[in-house]
Amino acid sequence: MTGWETSERVLESGGFESRQRVLVAEPAVEASEAGARTLGVTYWQAVDRFTRGCVRASWTGGGGKLRLLGGATLLTFGPPELSFEGGLVSCRHAIRGGLLAVRAGGSVTLAQRRQGEQQELSVTVEGYLPRLAAGAGLPPWTGMLYAKGQSPFHVAVSWRYFELLLRGRGA
Amino acid sequence: MNVTVFGATGVVGRALVPLLGEHELTVVSRTAREEPGARWVVADAASGDGVAAALEGAEVVYYLVHSLGTRDFEEQDRAAAETVAHEAANAGVRQIVYLGGLGADDPDASPHLRSRRETGERLASAGVAVTTLRAAMIVGKGSAAFETILGLVKRLPVMVTPSWVSTPTQPIALDDVSRYLAGVCGNEATFGEGYDVGGPEVMTYRQMIERIAVLLGRKPAIIEVPVLTPYLSSLWLNLVTPVSASVARPLVEGLRNPTIAREERIRKLLPLELTSFEEAARRALA
Repeated sequence: MTGWETSERVLESGGFESRQRVLVAEPAVEASEAGARTLGVTYWQAVDRFTRGCVRASWTGGGGKLRLLGGATLLTFGPPELSFEGGLVSCRHAIRGGLLAVRAGGSVTLAQRRQGEQQELSVTVEGYLPRLAAGAGLPPWTGMLYAKGQSPFHVAVSWRYFELLLRGRGA
Repeated sequence: MNVTVFGATGVVGRALVPLLGEHELTVVSRTAREEPGARWVVADAASGDGVAAALEGAEVVYYLVHSLGTRDFEEQDRAAAETVAHEAANAGVRQIVYLGGLGADDPDASPHLRSRRETGERLASAGVAVTTLRAAMIVGKGSAAFETILGLVKRLPVMVTPSWVSTPTQPIALDDVSRYLAGVCGNEATFGEGYDVGGPEVMTYRQMIERIAVLLGRKPAIIEVPVLTPYLSSLWLNLVTPVSASVARPLVEGLRNPTIAREERIRKLLPLELTSFEEAARRALA
């Protein structure tokens, strides 16, 4: 696993974009519905493992909830949108709300993309409106909980996700 | 082809044997029975008694044996697999077909799932080509995991469930997994290969409970709590379902691992029309 990169920026819309990626020599999942689904399932498993079960996703037919200790709903998501075409395998979930979102909007996408001889594995959150970030016109310290808490937490989960994905493939 | 089936009296074995009718069949169990059109041999993979005789002349061996329900099931499963692997090599067997578990490759797999993986490894240890099919819950009459869920739905109007009910799984109909097993028999392209065999739908255990409840005309209330341990869950299951705690506990421990197919190569190799969960459950309930 090489080429670890992480970046975050605020889009013109006010939404946040956060992206983490690594490069691997071989595909972690096959280009199929099962492969795309594996990306999503492994990501939610990474959240569970990283938080030792304190934050866990629960799913119904209509979507999922990320819950803290089985109670507070941190984020809600739409059902997985699976894609596997042209060297891209992905699983996208629309963000629909929850305590950590100002309102519905944005998405989280887990992807595997061919990049030359290698494969890029990525986690991309785009257009997300975090409640804990500093609001427009407010001093930066009001966004401390996001900057020092939620944002690095997300990056750490992404790293765990890449590890889990590759350990699953190698087993 | 000469085919020997270990575990022929189990849930999967009983469904598989009729599908192997075109072959010269030897069916193996620990107690004597009669099977029309087949040679019945009494053997015990755990002790090794009768195994060599059961494998005489065999070209393909189905290994559907497990020791779930015994205190040291991991050790017993390892020993039994090694015994059969070595005797199979001595008998000149070309292929061992093994039904393992989805999620068993997870580095944090439960003891039960870990045991399924180790059994596959031991079967391959003597040089005979192993074809492994990995399945999640098998939806069929007598399947311990399915009977556990069924017992919960039938007996409890209100369920206090641990967080494992949110784990995704991909149950497969007993008929489908049996057809996949029969389909790889003697197929050289599958020698030394492993395949994930999932059903047509991914769902959480909670969704599964709800869908079985609809079939039974019930509407249980499900209250999910984060603090119910596998041990407590297994004691509770022992009380309210027909499955004993010694079987339920390893199963429950395995439920925290997602059990979904990571790949679909079997669908290309054997393009079967898969049975829907509802249809499989209906057949199991009949």
